[in-house]
Amino acid sequence: MRWNVLFGGPAGTGPNVLTNILGQALVEHGNHVFYSRDYQSLIRGGHNFNVLTFSNEPVWSNDSEYDVIVALDDNTEKLHRKNLKKSGIILKGEHTNMYFAGRLFKLFCLDFKLLEAQLKKLEKRFDENLREAKKGYDEEKKSVCQVKGQKPDHYFINGNQGISRGAIKSGIGVYYAYPMTPATPILNELAAEQVKNNFSVIELENEIAVVMAGIGSSATGKKVMIGTSGGGYDLMTEGISMAGITELPIVAYLSQRPGPATGVATYTAQGDLRLALNSSHGEFPRIVLAAGDPKEAEELTNQCFYFSQKFKVPAIILGDKHLAESFYTIHEKVEVIPVPSTVRLGRFNSYEKDSQGCATENPEIIKKNIEARLKKTKEIEKESKKFQKYKVYGDKNAKKVIIGWGSTKGAVLDAIKEMKNVKFLQILYMEPFPIEIKKELDKKKVILVENNSTAQLAGLIAEKTGIFVENKILRYDGRPFLADELKKEIEKELK
Amino acid sequence: MSPQNLNTNCPPTWCPGCWNFQILAGFKKFLETQDAKNCAMVTGIGCAAKIFDYVNLNGLNSLHGRVLPVCLGLKVGNPKLNVFGFSGDGDAYAEGMEHLIHAARYNSNIKYLVHNNQVFALTVGQPTPTTETGFSDKTTPLGVKLPPINPLKIMLAAGCGFVARVFADVKQVDAVLKEAMSHKGFCFIEVIQPCLIFHPDTGYKEKTYNIQESGHDKTNFTEAMRLAEQFDYSGIKSDTRIPLGIFYQKEKPVFEEQLKR
Repeated sequence: MRWNVLFGGPAGTGPNVLTNILGQALVEHGNHVFYSRDYQSLIRGGHNFNVLTFSNEPVWSNDSEYDVIVALDDNTEKLHRKNLKKSGIILKGEHTNMYFAGRLFKLFCLDFKLLEAQLKKLEKRFDENLREAKKGYDEEKKSVCQVKGQKPDHYFINGNQGISRGAIKSGIGVYYAYPMTPATPILNELAAEQVKNNFSVIELENEIAVVMAGIGSSATGKKVMIGTSGGGYDLMTEGISMAGITELPIVAYLSQRPGPATGVATYTAQGDLRLALNSSHGEFPRIVLAAGDPKEAEELTNQCFYFSQKFKVPAIILGDKHLAESFYTIHEKVEVIPVPSTVRLGRFNSYEKDSQGCATENPEIIKKNIEARLKKTKEIEKESKKFQKYKVYGDKNAKKVIIGWGSTKGAVLDAIKEMKNVKFLQILYMEPFPIEIKKELDKKKVILVENNSTAQLAGLIAEKTGIFVENKILRYDGRPFLADELKKEIEKELK
Repeated sequence: MSPQNLNTNCPPTWCPGCWNFQILAGFKKFLETQDAKNCAMVTGIGCAAKIFDYVNLNGLNSLHGRVLPVCLGLKVGNPKLNVFGFSGDGDAYAEGMEHLIHAARYNSNIKYLVHNNQVFALTVGQPTPTTETGFSDKTTPLGVKLPPINPLKIMLAAGCGFVARVFADVKQVDAVLKEAMSHKGFCFIEVIQPCLIFHPDTGYKEKTYNIQESGHDKTNFTEAMRLAEQFDYSGIKSDTRIPLGIFYQKEKPVFEEQLKR
């Protein structure tokens, strides 16, 4: 059974801490947990809510109806009551978040010691929090006891943590960034690790400085990552072009949110696939990889470092707000490969250059330089065959295929879980693209699922394989897909 | 290292007699006293940036306006590297102004030379932020309406720990670089370099004088500001005086030395 719990309240009342504490405890009790965050661009007040979904089987997404609503204010009940199941429970009243933590622990029969341990980790106001939690625990009379009790072999992280771990395991030397939601938490994650792991985290005056300083450090042999969202990436594009011609490795984390321009700052979208693939003037090889969960985020960030260093090209790791800030339960071991550093300081030029690194206008040299870069495209393509460029889930022989990329993976996996004769094809490598998916799509009913309004992946598939995907399920209101709603939409398309 | 090793096969394409040759010769003369293997240069785009092609040093010929972040990246990557940046006035004061202000704040140990000819020369003569009011060209037939900025005042106000100005002369460039090398931190050095074609020399050099020779105390900020105001870039008049030398010098914590601490 899937349980959906909504935590709502104004910013500053602690719905995040509460969700995280319950999530951690459920995971430690052997459950599978997923939670997402819906918050506005403000610091105090407004309405924020998190939805936590858990089960004793794997879960990757939320549903539209709730079993429990935890209302930290009246507004939460007003806004979400309509989505409470008939049998649903609402916890409300003027209490602190930790009081509700106590009640939830009792409700789900969780070990109070785990709550106490979490409160200790918070450090702040321990005595007060513990008193509140105890009060809630004692006052809750119901219990639904859906949880298992065994030791887990899995852990609980979000997409941004996955990216950070991937960078650290690849031997990152410097992370440059300018704060921008939803990439900002990487700054926090990496900043906390920099001393222990001997790398630097540096905030500069803008994203142009970020990418250019990144190129400077890359030229000294450091492994560099930069991170931002679409608007900041726009500013970085001249630098990505510079990395292209100077043949200096750099990894860029592009965490998507709805655009154009400021768009919707704290919500999710997959509108920047074409930006990642086509940004920056001129022609040069690049890598674009898209992760669908934190484990893939870690592995693909590592692969971005690997390709970027090996072939001295820019590599873009694509994520989005839903992946970046949602917490997932990860079951499998992460596989990372060593990333040798390849650059030595020499003479690098933004102009086409001769053998001495001097600017040249000689047509033969220009042609030779361009062909040398083109050749790398072929070598990258060949090397990429060693990696899993796409994944297939579900019935391998199914005649019906759902296709998608990035964070929509979670809702698709949950939506098709019980469907027969349906498989899900997730593309991880956007560049170099797995043209071999053609055999998976030929003569099949194909349905595309994307968090954008123009079906950018469908365009890419048509460009690379000549296959036009006709059936599209698109969501572009800044919100992620929900498993139960998506299931209905897929069933409608399959009829 | 002999000066010969610093040469490239690339013939200079500056106009005959360009003051940039003096800056090039001054930099090479200075490099003779340095371990060139441990030096790197970063240039922007424009006539000034062509110097990258004429000195066989490691480094990057970067993008327009982006000399300083690349220099910073080099220093972060290898703090022991001696890093020299070269920009024109368009590069430094138009496209790259935000980086310039922040470079003064970061105080990374970078030596930065701005070849100021008060014009965009390689794009054939448009006005820059330091071009005088009234200057006209094809893009500005009605004449520049705005007053020029004063980069030295900006650098002083931004907290730059080494603010200097020299004329494009072998000896002056060599000497100021030697002074800058003994200063730990960001060094801003403006080089007056009149453009022969688009902003002709109207007697700049004759109007210059050395402030150290006239007794300026380079630790005196107020006096540095007063001297910086003495030349406002609005052309040469009979009473114009262009102060040269080290206006201000004060050591501060260095960016790359504070990382990972």
